[in-house]
Amino acid sequence: MRSFWPIYKRELFAFFVTPLAWVLITVFLLVQGMHFFLLVDHFASAGQQISDQTPLQAFFGNTVLLYLVLFLLIPPMTMRLFAEERRSGTIESLMTAPVSSIGVVLAKYAAVLTTYVAMWAPTVLYLVILRQTGDIDWNVAASAYLGVLLVGAGYLSLGMLMSAITKSQFLALVLTATVILALFILGVGEFVTREGTVMHDVCSHVSVWAHMNDFASGVVDSRRLVFYGSLVVLPLFVTVRAVDAWRWG
Amino acid sequence: MISVQHLVKRYGSKVAVDDLSFEVDKGEVVGFLGPNGAGKSTTLRVIAGFLGLTSGTVKVAGHDITKESFEARQKLGYMPEAVPHYPEMRVVEYLRFRAELKRVPGGERKRAVWDAMGKANVRDVANVVIGHLSKGYRQRVGLADALVGSPPLLVLDEPTAGLDPNQIRDVREVIRELGKEHTVLLSTHILSEVEASCSRVVVIAGGKLVAEGTMDEIARKRRSAGLHVVVRGDLDAAVAALRGVEGIVKALPEPATTADEGVHAVRCSWSKKLDEGAAARATEEAVGALVGRGLFVREASPVKSTLEELFGELTGARADDAAREDEEEEAAS
Repeated sequence: MRSFWPIYKRELFAFFVTPLAWVLITVFLLVQGMHFFLLVDHFASAGQQISDQTPLQAFFGNTVLLYLVLFLLIPPMTMRLFAEERRSGTIESLMTAPVSSIGVVLAKYAAVLTTYVAMWAPTVLYLVILRQTGDIDWNVAASAYLGVLLVGAGYLSLGMLMSAITKSQFLALVLTATVILALFILGVGEFVTREGTVMHDVCSHVSVWAHMNDFASGVVDSRRLVFYGSLVVLPLFVTVRAVDAWRWG
Repeated sequence: MISVQHLVKRYGSKVAVDDLSFEVDKGEVVGFLGPNGAGKSTTLRVIAGFLGLTSGTVKVAGHDITKESFEARQKLGYMPEAVPHYPEMRVVEYLRFRAELKRVPGGERKRAVWDAMGKANVRDVANVVIGHLSKGYRQRVGLADALVGSPPLLVLDEPTAGLDPNQIRDVREVIRELGKEHTVLLSTHILSEVEASCSRVVVIAGGKLVAEGTMDEIARKRRSAGLHVVVRGDLDAAVAALRGVEGIVKALPEPATTADEGVHAVRCSWSKKLDEGAAARATEEAVGALVGRGLFVREASPVKSTLEELFGELTGARADDAAREDEEEEAAS
């Protein structure tokens, strides 16, 4: 695990030294800024009529925009993690240094998760802006950000696994987008299947949409924590196995 | 420093390395020679801990590479064949990263990187982004990478591949220097490379060991390829006499080296089947036949095959296998 720090630092460096990171962050902040502006505008003109939702809830829950940016940004963030190193051969230098597969996988994951958090960090400003005009329930804000972190962590973990099973960055990108979109659509099945059926239970258990709505209204359900916990740990585990498996290929 | 015992490496059902055993002792510079696709890179990758082995044991500095992989990798500096780097990093940044990965303690890291850059001759490009470097420099950065932390053992996969003659000379110079402090195992498919920098050589072909020893020992394996005779008398009669000897497949006149009247030189080639003893007997017969025809023999000397021919002989029989395995290696890596 001592190899964690150098690889973590290098991954962050590699990400931020290329234009890719800055393009992604810019796109992300543009979309979120627009989203925020529309919401505030909406709430300002609607006045007292909508009282069951706060701008904060609307920003994180019940909005397709949140997922759109995630579908758009997560795959390009994770696609290069392993695919690039395998294509260019640098993986050979990396794995012949005294490092462990777990150390490499965790370091790369931590780096991409850090980037994700850095991407969201500026949106805290929106809360500061909202506070100028009214009260903010900080518990709800915290739970909403927890939700964003958990969903992102799960998606990033899946993305890293996709990057580990192919040498092509493009294929990793497509696979990641497909998998997280499929997971999302399966979750939406909650609203189209009949209540009481097994299918409905399955769908509602994996329903990212419903989870985010809960988180956005300040509900932290332990079942969600377990779900996202496994969504992070399982792909990580398989990634470590995949990295080990290259040796025997 | 390296002990390879009955190493077998399969890719699926294809065998890339087949029951290979050899040793590299401390302080040696050993050349690992073989045609392209003989299994050189595969073997080195196994030694470096990048590929797992199918069966057999490999020990690096006394550490079994499957059981004590960390210890083994820490004792070894490895330079992969294509010398891959992260193109976006500066040379010194990259080497610092490598030093940290190789667990050079924080206080010594700067020094270790500086020393490695000195030995590999890349100090002048320390602050250049690796993606902008020429092939020769990138190769030397790879060497510096292998040297960071001064591991006792260096494993270099084709360190001069793709370089121009001047660069090749530079790299060989560096390797000779390194040989004084490190144990070196370097692979190559170029014979002169081994002659230039190695104290011992291990030759493989088709994944199998075909020869091992010092350059002199290998050179002694050269068999005589033919016979060179100088005779005084009728040239046509001499050629006819030589062609009549069993074991000689070709007899061609050569320009004589003296100006003496009626003196001719003939070069004969042995048939491929001839072993050393039979060649000696055929020599006796040839001289006898010449004398029997009334010609005067001034000189009869064996023609040794060149090292290149020997290399071809040692590895040639397996060239077809090797070509097939080359493709597999590409597919597998």
